[in-house]
Amino acid sequence: MEKDFIIAGFGGQGVLLAGEVLANGFMIDDKMVTWYPSYGAEMRGGTVNCSVVMADEDVSAVQKSQADYIIVLNQASFDKYTSWVRKGGTIIVNSSLANIKKVRDDINYVFVPITQMAQEKLGNIKMSNVLALGILSKVSKLITLSTLEKALKNVIHPHRMNLMPKNIEALKLGYEYDLLPILG
Amino acid sequence: MSVQVFKIPNSLKKDAKYTFCPGCDHGVAVRLVAEVLEEMGLTENAILAASIGCSVTLYDFLNVDALEAPHGRALAEATGIKRARPDKFVFTYQGDGDFASIGLAESMHAALRGEKLSAICINNTTYGMTGGQLGPTTIMGQITTTSPTGRNKEYYGYPIKIAEHIALCDGTAYSARVSLDSVANIKKAKQAIKKAFEVQVKGLGFGFVEILSTCPTNWRMTPEQAHERVKNEMMPVFKPGVYKDITVNNQ
Amino acid sequence: MVECLTGKKILIKGNYAIANAAVLAGCQCYFGYPITPQSEIGEFMSGKMQELGRSYVSAESELAAINMTIGACATGAKAMSSSSSCAIALMQEALSYAASDELPVVLVSVMRGGPGLGNIYSSQGDYFQTTKGGGNGDYKLIALAPSTVQECVDLTYKAFYLAHKYKNPTVLLADGLLGQMMAPVEFKPYPYPEIDNSEWALTGAKGRNSRIIRSYAPLADEQCVFLEKLFNKYKQIEENETEWEEIGTEDADIVLVSFGSTFRNIKTAAKICRQKGLKVGVFRPITLYPFPHKRLNELADRVKKIISVEVNMGQMINDIKLSVDGKVPVELIHKPVGAPPAPEDIAAQVEELA
Repeated sequence: MEKDFIIAGFGGQGVLLAGEVLANGFMIDDKMVTWYPSYGAEMRGGTVNCSVVMADEDVSAVQKSQADYIIVLNQASFDKYTSWVRKGGTIIVNSSLANIKKVRDDINYVFVPITQMAQEKLGNIKMSNVLALGILSKVSKLITLSTLEKALKNVIHPHRMNLMPKNIEALKLGYEYDLLPILG
Repeated sequence: MSVQVFKIPNSLKKDAKYTFCPGCDHGVAVRLVAEVLEEMGLTENAILAASIGCSVTLYDFLNVDALEAPHGRALAEATGIKRARPDKFVFTYQGDGDFASIGLAESMHAALRGEKLSAICINNTTYGMTGGQLGPTTIMGQITTTSPTGRNKEYYGYPIKIAEHIALCDGTAYSARVSLDSVANIKKAKQAIKKAFEVQVKGLGFGFVEILSTCPTNWRMTPEQAHERVKNEMMPVFKPGVYKDITVNNQ
Repeated sequence: MVECLTGKKILIKGNYAIANAAVLAGCQCYFGYPITPQSEIGEFMSGKMQELGRSYVSAESELAAINMTIGACATGAKAMSSSSSCAIALMQEALSYAASDELPVVLVSVMRGGPGLGNIYSSQGDYFQTTKGGGNGDYKLIALAPSTVQECVDLTYKAFYLAHKYKNPTVLLADGLLGQMMAPVEFKPYPYPEIDNSEWALTGAKGRNSRIIRSYAPLADEQCVFLEKLFNKYKQIEENETEWEEIGTEDADIVLVSFGSTFRNIKTAAKICRQKGLKVGVFRPITLYPFPHKRLNELADRVKKIISVEVNMGQMINDIKLSVDGKVPVELIHKPVGAPPAPEDIAAQVEELA
């Protein structure tokens, strides 16, 4: 089995970090995994993305033009990456910053007001990225919340472990997104 | 009773073949460097980063370990040597073209970083080894093989005053310009070299001496005329003096 | 920032993996100047070297950086620089000197797009720059090409070892993809013996004659003798150190050849081809110099076609053609710059060429 993931959004939304947590999670689960970012000039104010490939055996290619799961945290990424979703795949859309609109009928759409939830339930929009991973965990069933918790410990700097409880809360909130009344 | 009044310093190779032109001041400068190395007890602990130009042959005369750098890169290689072996005495001996033209970036940045290095630069207002072309220190009006009607500002711009520039770098501990045109000035030159070496030994920063020197062959002059030129034409433009010395107050 | 020696698998970027491996290999001095896509190496080194009491210099240029590396290596120290394409171009003069001076310079080259300023995306356009050289005169650089992040670690160790064993500048040739990607890596201790350099290192002429490290041979005969000696050394390197990997070549009709990060994609392409009934094997030079000419020549006796897959306009293909010496046709599948060609695309082109 091999699965491809892309996380995309504005610079500053923590998409690279979210990808790093996801990739660490797959490593903890003893999967083969690669992470690849957009870098350089692309990072200056524009959209940022990273792709994660998880496989049972060797990763077949690091950079691909399709993915099974794509998380888009803003409108620009939604516009760009809708066509990248593999047939039967899923796109998780941050409906706080992107319009709820389905243009394909061969993929699954999951609209969640991620930024709004992060602001209202966690008091910090910077938690959007980790919250999105919680949603991915639920939707994909390819990685558990407890693995993602361990992965967060690998990624968060040892001096900033005080941030862990809030991040775990964000993961859980994302995982339970469909139990909550969604606004709008 | 016999008194020894002259001896060849141990830092000089006894069997070296003299390769400089008659009347060239490189010979005097090399001798001064050798004497200071010996007097300060540095010979066995010294590593030279050699340059390109007539100055390259220094390693043929001195009993010190040496690494030959590409043109202009002596102070980069010296930086590498010193950073790898901070316990060693590391110095360069370069011409004005090597130090202040092709190697200006390396020279200035070694000074700005305050590398614990000592650099000697021979300023003879021309590229000696390649046959007397216009260099970074060629003075206004000077005729060279590439300034056949003399250096003028419209076509060639201006010469660089090296010792003053190096003195402006915050990492420089000592910067001086000396001349070898007279016995009195040769003595001053030796003191300056000693000072530039001392600031490294004491770990104070970058030590630098610019030595005004003759190039009789390319100037088309006798040795005597060449020394007259140093005094009458070069010294008014490149004024000898100590431009920075952090070991002295009121700098 | 990662620990030096973790003893467990960690997820790490190729650039950090290279830098951390250099530290573990005992690199005492790092000299560099920033350039994308390898700046993380210098960033890591700036902190780690200070922490360990070793040397780091933010050089004023790549020219200065590589010459500082030469200076440090002349004292016998393990020293390195790292850079990328257009800035490696600036270093060519010094690499020629280092080869001639026989100094153990280690240079990490993380390829980006060219020529000129090009772009910051991954590329394999500096195969020629590395293996044919841009410096003057007859010389060779040992060149190691990792294909995974783990190999970035293993071959960084090897680069230090070979550089010192043969007193020869050695390049670790990575690319933007390897430098920027993350993958799980294990850092094991530096596995190679330390090389004695007391016979040649510049340490001050105490109790011995002074030593001069130079490439200047004023007499023509001297230079002839020196070059013969240098090339005898290269012959030894070719005999002892040529390294490659091959999979599925035993029964292959077609062999795909790639170096570096592109290898992953040809492995996948070969699997796709096998599913379609084509007997395809893969081959990867690990050392680009010395190049596995002999092995490719042997393979050419029994395969029908060799295809070079590269992210450039076709560079390594020239060495493959030299290797097979006309025995079989050698074709090219390539992308000019960027991500390696997709495995499905490679497989489709192989089918066309078969």
